[in-house]
Amino acid sequence: MRHVLCTMGTVASIELPEAYASELDDVDAVFRDVDERFSLYRPESELSRIANGTVALGLASAELRSSYERSIEWRIQTGGLFTPNRPDGVLDLNGIVKAEAIESAGALLDRAGCPAWTINVGGDILVRSNHAPWVTGIADPADPDALLCSVEVGGARRAIATSGCAQRGDHIWRGGELGPTHFAQVSVIAGDIVTADVLATAIVAGGPAAIDQITDRWPVDVLAVDRAGAMVATPGFRRSLAA
Amino acid sequence: MRTRATLGGIFASVAVLIVGWQAGAPLLTPAVTTSQPQLSGATAPQTTTTSPSPSTTQAPVASGPADGTFTGSSVSTRFGNVQVAVTISGGSITDVTPLQLTDADGKSVQISNRAAPVLHDEVLASQSAQVSNVGGATYTSNAYLASLQSALDQAGI
Repeated sequence: MRHVLCTMGTVASIELPEAYASELDDVDAVFRDVDERFSLYRPESELSRIANGTVALGLASAELRSSYERSIEWRIQTGGLFTPNRPDGVLDLNGIVKAEAIESAGALLDRAGCPAWTINVGGDILVRSNHAPWVTGIADPADPDALLCSVEVGGARRAIATSGCAQRGDHIWRGGELGPTHFAQVSVIAGDIVTADVLATAIVAGGPAAIDQITDRWPVDVLAVDRAGAMVATPGFRRSLAA
Repeated sequence: MRTRATLGGIFASVAVLIVGWQAGAPLLTPAVTTSQPQLSGATAPQTTTTSPSPSTTQAPVASGPADGTFTGSSVSTRFGNVQVAVTISGGSITDVTPLQLTDADGKSVQISNRAAPVLHDEVLASQSAQVSNVGGATYTSNAYLASLQSALDQAGI
């Protein structure tokens, strides 16, 4: 069955067997909690109060500090290509909290024993497959109403995240400022959704120089589309293309 | 012996590559290159034996390594078993092809995971598959209504 809810300024779509529908209240609560804590659009959210100086970061909740620490760790790992700070210095954890929320919701379904499910939040997808992989489409950056391709996601490579400028303009910061990126869209398949999401963002930000270093270092599959529509893909991504 | 020393150097280079691949080279530093043969100072791994293929005539001592493709035997490293073939032309290594790399579980893994240009047709051929989800750069709740995912959700697929 399919369950849809609005969260974090976008829409979450969850597929799971009918028998596990009773878990959906808890799944919704995971997203609601993250939304209330991290949204910069809600002036009363904890992150908004840190951004405007009402609350010191050191006094923030354990959950928020944990996300911040994870973001800083990824900033170090990616040589600054991924960062939790906006160009104006404001702390913005959106780059990681959506993926963390997907991760938490997935862990909840796993604990409940749900054998197969998919969670799609704003185009970033985590799956659990029991036998066949899930076939996942990737939107065409030149025409979001059309598919660019379809890939099999499942087994150990159970997360796919896509970053780019197709939907929200140039929202990825490059060297502290917004600017046109080499790649229009980058999709990363990884073992977990945070890695997929962070590295997709880092490759868009870092361009062709970053893509080799990231694929050398992390076991991920990548498809990147440049502004002229030309594509590069890792061998693993090509093998994942649906028949 | 010279060929053996060259191959030893190549194995050492490949070992460096593998260590870098496993440990993760720091970002934004030059990649290790294997384009130049290492003729001196290299020590062959203790288990290395080489079986040149195709067999080449013994080159005079004064000249460089003979041209040809050389296949090394499988070498056990702490990261798994490695076997490579090298092509030498005009005294330089022109190609190193990984034939085998297995991880601790005996599963074959790939040394190079780099992205390379891919033909549109190959990618587009997968479009017709029936999908359960659509991934894409983040869409807002407004954009969602016009998205393919929205259509899938309404269809309850």
